Amino acid sequence: MPTINLRGAQKNYGVNSANAVSDLDLEIRDGEFMCLLGPSGCGKTTTLRMIAGLENLSGGEIRVGDRLIDSVAEGVFVPPEKREMGLVFQSYALWPHLTIERNTDFGLRLRKLPKAEREERVERVMQALDIAKYRDRYPSQLSGGQQQRVALARMLAVNPGVLLLDEPLSNLDARLRLEMRAELKRLHKEFKTTIVFVTHDQWEAMTLATTIAVMNEGTLQQMGTPNDIYDRPANRFVAEFVGSPPINILTFGRPGISDIADKAEGYFSSRYPALSRIGSIGIRPEAMGYVLKMEDVPQGDFFGEMTVTGVLPTGGSWILELRSENHTLFLTTHALPRLDGGERVFFHAPPEALHVFDGHGERISEADTLLKVSAFN
Amino acid sequence: MALLSDTLKAQAPGNRVAAKPSGWQAWRYRIKVALREPTTLIGVVTALLFTYLIVVPIISIIFDAVRVQFGHERRLGKEVGDFTFYYLDRTFFSPVATDLFWHPLLNTLTVAFGAIALSLAIGTILAWLISRTDMFGRRWFATALIVPYMLPAWTFALAWTTLFKNRTIGGQPGWFEAMGMTPPDWVAYGRFPITIILALHYTPFVILLFGSALRRFDSQLEDSARILGARRHQVALQVILPLMRPALLSSMVLIFAKCLGEFGVPYVLGLPVKFEVLSTSLFRSIASRQTGVAGVVAASIMVIGIITLMIDARLVREARRFVTIGSKGSMNRQSRLGNMRLPATGFAAAIFLLSVGLPLLTLALSTVMKIPAQFTLDNFTLDYWIGTNLDTVALQTGILLSPDLWAAAGNTLMIVGLASLTSGILGLFVGYVVIRTPVRVLSVYLRQVTFLPYLVPGIAFAAAYLSLFAVPRGPMPALYGTVTILVLALIADQMPYASRAGISAMTQLGKDPEEAAQIAGAGWLRRMISIVIPIQKGSLVTGVLLPFISGIKGLSLFVILAVPSTDVLTTYSLRLVDYHYTQAANAVVLIIAGIAYFGTLTAQKLTRTNLAEGLGS
Repeated sequence: MPTINLRGAQKNYGVNSANAVSDLDLEIRDGEFMCLLGPSGCGKTTTLRMIAGLENLSGGEIRVGDRLIDSVAEGVFVPPEKREMGLVFQSYALWPHLTIERNTDFGLRLRKLPKAEREERVERVMQALDIAKYRDRYPSQLSGGQQQRVALARMLAVNPGVLLLDEPLSNLDARLRLEMRAELKRLHKEFKTTIVFVTHDQWEAMTLATTIAVMNEGTLQQMGTPNDIYDRPANRFVAEFVGSPPINILTFGRPGISDIADKAEGYFSSRYPALSRIGSIGIRPEAMGYVLKMEDVPQGDFFGEMTVTGVLPTGGSWILELRSENHTLFLTTHALPRLDGGERVFFHAPPEALHVFDGHGERISEADTLLKVSAFN
Repeated sequence: MALLSDTLKAQAPGNRVAAKPSGWQAWRYRIKVALREPTTLIGVVTALLFTYLIVVPIISIIFDAVRVQFGHERRLGKEVGDFTFYYLDRTFFSPVATDLFWHPLLNTLTVAFGAIALSLAIGTILAWLISRTDMFGRRWFATALIVPYMLPAWTFALAWTTLFKNRTIGGQPGWFEAMGMTPPDWVAYGRFPITIILALHYTPFVILLFGSALRRFDSQLEDSARILGARRHQVALQVILPLMRPALLSSMVLIFAKCLGEFGVPYVLGLPVKFEVLSTSLFRSIASRQTGVAGVVAASIMVIGIITLMIDARLVREARRFVTIGSKGSMNRQSRLGNMRLPATGFAAAIFLLSVGLPLLTLALSTVMKIPAQFTLDNFTLDYWIGTNLDTVALQTGILLSPDLWAAAGNTLMIVGLASLTSGILGLFVGYVVIRTPVRVLSVYLRQVTFLPYLVPGIAFAAAYLSLFAVPRGPMPALYGTVTILVLALIADQMPYASRAGISAMTQLGKDPEEAAQIAGAGWLRRMISIVIPIQKGSLVTGVLLPFISGIKGLSLFVILAVPSTDVLTTYSLRLVDYHYTQAANAVVLIIAGIAYFGTLTAQKLTRTNLAEGLGS
């Protein structure tokens, strides 16, 4: 399927209500596995439903290739049943009165394919998703994971150019979820479908997507590869939303509020000329290390002395809670910390691990280069 | 390295689309989306239909109340149809106003409040015994004590007359009279028996509403009070009762609304002593062709009904504040009755006997006895059921052999059946449109207009129908005396239940299955046929069956709109009462009660629902 383009797409549900999606530009290329990521209520599901045609626009337009399929200004609306897309619902939405086979077959019957071809295609997707043995059962007789497969099979059977998935894994338990993720990745390879996937789970997005679009309050925050999103968050929202435990934020320009922030300002004053532009900096817990003696702090690292107030094992790694007089930081370590709490330690982080944001929370990209250079001095 | 690649900050390539479409463009787009599917069209058509079937009759009767009616032109010196205060003045302020309105109003109020007080007193105790104690046979009583509500109320009125009728009116004497103990008029007729019967009939309301509130009650709330040192009676008074208040008030209001429209009981028991309530007064005005006055009385009943149910809606909203969503706390904890266990069971059993056993037994016996209250073998006969060549003026065969009964039964099945089927299907349509249409105004209007008849007591609604359809209007011929008017009125009367069933079924179904079909490529018609209707089969059955049962035992609509040729079972039995064919009348009532009872049971079995759920709404 050609590229799907949303331009200035807008949705509000009432005259007085805030926009569920405002002025959204999004480009989904052929064969992409795109995740729409964001907290609940950020407009990601609405976006997906607008692409499917289940939600009409309040403004803007949607194109598939050169073809306009939805536009308020042009008065164009192609109904969902004519858009040739597939959508897997969060609730699966299997038809309770039809068997698994009939559920899978439904779309093919509508397309009036010859019986032999229908049977062949149904068989193929049911085999691919390992549900052939349930063909005569009804949806209520299947487990959540099996229903999930049927919902996928039903859409894959008609081989849509684009497959839209609305948090399809959120109702599964952890293990099944992992299996289905692998399955989805395999299906993406096998069927070469464009996939748009909505999730609020950052790990799901990270592991599956080729491109992630992070949304918040109806607007697109950042679009990029999973690595981009994680390593170079475009703003504080993205930085804080992605990553667990969440990124540590030090706010600048409020001397005396936080001793660690003051220390960071001191650290930057010698390295970055436009100090007053900086609103805050972020340090990911897993980018930090700690040492017991100040002389062990690597050369050029930003560091500070804090007290260990908590050691939280998370299985294979540990989260340390560090406190100074008026600041709390989290740090992740993979080596068993021989600490009981109460010890004074020195945390440190290399300059390239510091994310610099301006007063509006936007990333200051030029700081990255400067800090990178300073790391070698 | 990530550091070297540029962040793909969302940038729109190419020409920008104006973010804000012009008002005209937005409208054109919305209309296009709305008209893409027949949903909106169906919505508009049904909205127009219900405006005509529900709103117009009500407006028509209100106009009747303030316009000169046929036959009064000379006296009022105005043309027919001119505006006048005459009827309002006559009903509210003239010397006959006491008889027309104020006495009936007073009687309605006293009877209603008496019935409310009595049914609350009995109902709350029974509800508590059933839902929170270890009384013997709780589960059995839980169903058995609801039975009075499944039977038509005037079943009990007829049983009462069978027992207590005295020589004030003719026909067969009551059993007590026949045994030589003449009951005084106040026992036999009027306020006292009407109050008792309505109380017994509506006690199930209290049991159901109060009982379900008790069951939902989170016993952790109770436990917390106990742990803090409250005694049992303190818990009851300070924790449970305040939380139960909405349920209690709500059942009071509902009983009041029902009493307001109740016709059969006051007709059977009130008429002999000229004890009139609003509904019988309205009936008399219509019967004596006082259309203007009837309009005023009907409108008054509607206003009282609407006010009452608005109070109820408010209470329900208030009750939502109190909803204690119980998880494990709402488990059914029972109080031990100890040595009160047997007396408590006795009390429940006594109420059951009084409200179900005794009346039905009396009616059943009366249909097989020649002379009342003479329990000798030669006095028993099946003649009234299956006899031939009886020594009577009319009805010379047993009731089961009478063609009139079968004609009435046929009429009932046809009229009620047709109306229920239509309203069930319309209800599903309404539900579909209300939930699906993108046009919000339409959704709100349909929801409210189909609910309107609920606020209007049946008898007033029937009067409204009479006012609109008795004479030819425009292309519509005069419908009085036809089956059509009955079917139409019944459809409108059943719409609140049908549309609610439809709306809740569609809400429960949710959008997803249909949207999934849409995505799979199914157009509107295909989705209806392959997805929506098959899934909603069950609720369609309920939506048809429940109105059917209530239609069969319904009286107030028919008594105004039916004529002998369109007799249904209820009006037929009432006619038999008027002619003093006591045995036959009782037999017909038993048949109706049987159909209503077994029909309700079947409906409950089929749908695995409880009557209680349909009641509170």
